Amino acid sequence: MGIIAKNIGKIIGEPPTRILTDINLEIKSGEFVALTGRSGSGKSSLLYLLSSIDVPSEGTIELEGHNIKKIKKKVLYRFRNEKMGFIFQFHYLIAELTALENVLLPTRKFGYEKQKKSYAADLLKQVGLENKEYRLPRQLSGGEQQRVAVARSLIMEPQYIFADEPTGSLDSINGDMVMNIIRDANEKLGTTVVLVTHDPDFAQEAKRQVHLADGKIV
Amino acid sequence: MIELALQYLLSRRRQTILTLLGIFFGSAAFVTISGLMLGFREYIINQLVNNSGHVHILARKEFLTEHSLDESWYGKAFEHIFWKVPPSGRKDSAMVENPQSWYTRLNKDPRVVAYSPQLTASVIVSNGKATAPATIIGCDPLAQKRVTTIGEYVIEGNFNDLALGGNKLALGDELAKELGATIFQTVQVSLANGMPSPFKVVAIFKTGTKQMDNVAFGAISDIQKVNQTPNQVNEITVRLYDYTQAAMLADSWSAMSFEKVESWDQQNGNIFNVFKIQDAIRFLSIGSVLIVAGFGIYNVLNMTVVQKRKDIAILRSMGYNTYEIVSLFFSQGLLLGVTGAAFGLFFGYCFCLYLQTIPFAGGPLGSGSGHLIISFNPRIYVQALCLALMSTSIASILPARAAGKLTPLEIIRAGAE
Ligand SMILES: Nc1ncnc2c1ncn2[C@@H]1O[C@H](COP(=O)(O)OP(=O)(O)OP(=O)(O)O)[C@@H](O)[C@H]1O
Ligand SMILES: [Mg+2]
Repeated sequence: MGIIAKNIGKIIGEPPTRILTDINLEIKSGEFVALTGRSGSGKSSLLYLLSSIDVPSEGTIELEGHNIKKIKKKVLYRFRNEKMGFIFQFHYLIAELTALENVLLPTRKFGYEKQKKSYAADLLKQVGLENKEYRLPRQLSGGEQQRVAVARSLIMEPQYIFADEPTGSLDSINGDMVMNIIRDANEKLGTTVVLVTHDPDFAQEAKRQVHLADGKIV
Repeated sequence: MIELALQYLLSRRRQTILTLLGIFFGSAAFVTISGLMLGFREYIINQLVNNSGHVHILARKEFLTEHSLDESWYGKAFEHIFWKVPPSGRKDSAMVENPQSWYTRLNKDPRVVAYSPQLTASVIVSNGKATAPATIIGCDPLAQKRVTTIGEYVIEGNFNDLALGGNKLALGDELAKELGATIFQTVQVSLANGMPSPFKVVAIFKTGTKQMDNVAFGAISDIQKVNQTPNQVNEITVRLYDYTQAAMLADSWSAMSFEKVESWDQQNGNIFNVFKIQDAIRFLSIGSVLIVAGFGIYNVLNMTVVQKRKDIAILRSMGYNTYEIVSLFFSQGLLLGVTGAAFGLFFGYCFCLYLQTIPFAGGPLGSGSGHLIISFNPRIYVQALCLALMSTSIASILPARAAGKLTPLEIIRAGAE
């Protein structure tokens, strides 16, 4: 199982611009893949395609053996909720909710909030925020907020984590902390990780590096 | 999603309260104004229904048309008759033609509570030097009390004493004042050109309606004597068990008799037209308040959707679907509407309770009870709630749908700035 991209290309914008060309990539279950490349090379675009947030203009993507264009929306959304975790460069916490509530947000969809509450507290503890569960995002530093976002991506114990430069806005201490959590998830829980980064040190952590240039794998 | 919607609203308390105010004022105003208007209306209807009976059987007034006299003059001799001066005018029959047949019919009808035959005459009443023109209603006092509420308005004496016969009179309060007459005094009653007959005042009543308080009641036999029209009746007033059936019954009786039969609501058709206009004004004015309130909600929600684009993206990336995003914003609007309306209804209700205690003397309105009459009909509250919910739903659905259409991708890309 895993994700397989076959000959995918992506054309966007007006006038139409090609941003990805003929990508073939297989991400096996349990793998830790880093997508690297210069700014503008198409890393984020590829990540959105692999994570089914976006659909390719050409080629097909198979998610656990199913063509994502043919999966029913309902099934896809459930899959995204239960099996995928996202971390973005900017944390995207909901300002009205406390750290703990933000972590629990994905569990609300199917009403697992109560069952997951102690696990959420546990995750916050793992990211070093054990005394800050009831703070609102604005009462946390940028690094702390990103750690909340990391905890949130793990709350459903997903099979996949997609991270788009999760350390981009962090200092090295916070950056290391976030990377450790992601690595732990991969090593201890067997979570498949697709990580976009332009930091060579973090890319080294991955078991496989995929390098992009001008929308192509090189 | 409702929980999250609530959390959004609670974290923006000031804005939430400001938005609520529109709906609050709209529904409070609706409840208060409707309470006042309908209270007044219920009072009027109550007066109409109870004070003068439900169905009136009256001597027919017939208007002559160009050809109504053709046959009586020329029989069937001509096919067409042209008049130089066409006949016109009114053919008055001053009495109910065959009251006995009406009595038997009314006695048999299970829908009739009671009926009272009446003879109404215009007379001049004098007390010493004071004279006043008045309408005098001859009736069967006991039946009259069952058919109308006149008995409840007697402030001095006893209405039943009219039945004793021998020229007794019940005077309306206004008329009594005009004549300077007090109870147990004797006054003179005469037709415009007739001999005065003495009548003894045995009761004084006060209904609060000026017109009614200028009337005098007597026993029908006495009045027939004064009017020199023995056995004549010019109206039979009927009380029914169900006053809402009055119009229907009046129509059917009218169809099978020579007399003019009218129900209380047919007699007062113009008042019902006024009510309709009142309703139109009420709904239009409150409607516009609620439209403004709706616009408020619409603006706030639109702004919220823009502010919360990132939240939408993150929720979508977690697998929340379009419907859930729509409901997140729609329920914010709905929550505003429901709470605004709830507070509005409650406040309106309290305000109505307060208005009820305000003393209000004079005029036909405050007369009976001495304070404002307010309606607490549950329909008012249901209508207010429906109007408020309608305006908030319409105002919320557009921004909510726009939020549902946003895809996570465009926001995540745009959100980097
Ligand atoms: N809406 C758009 N219209 C046209 N071109 C776009 C649009 N969005 C992105 N692009 C282009 O697509 C290419 C790939 O963008 P992408 O965001 O995937 O790059 P990236 O590798 O993630 O860069 P970075 O490291 O700066 O995040 C870029 O050349 C960018 O200019
Ligand atoms: Mg990028």
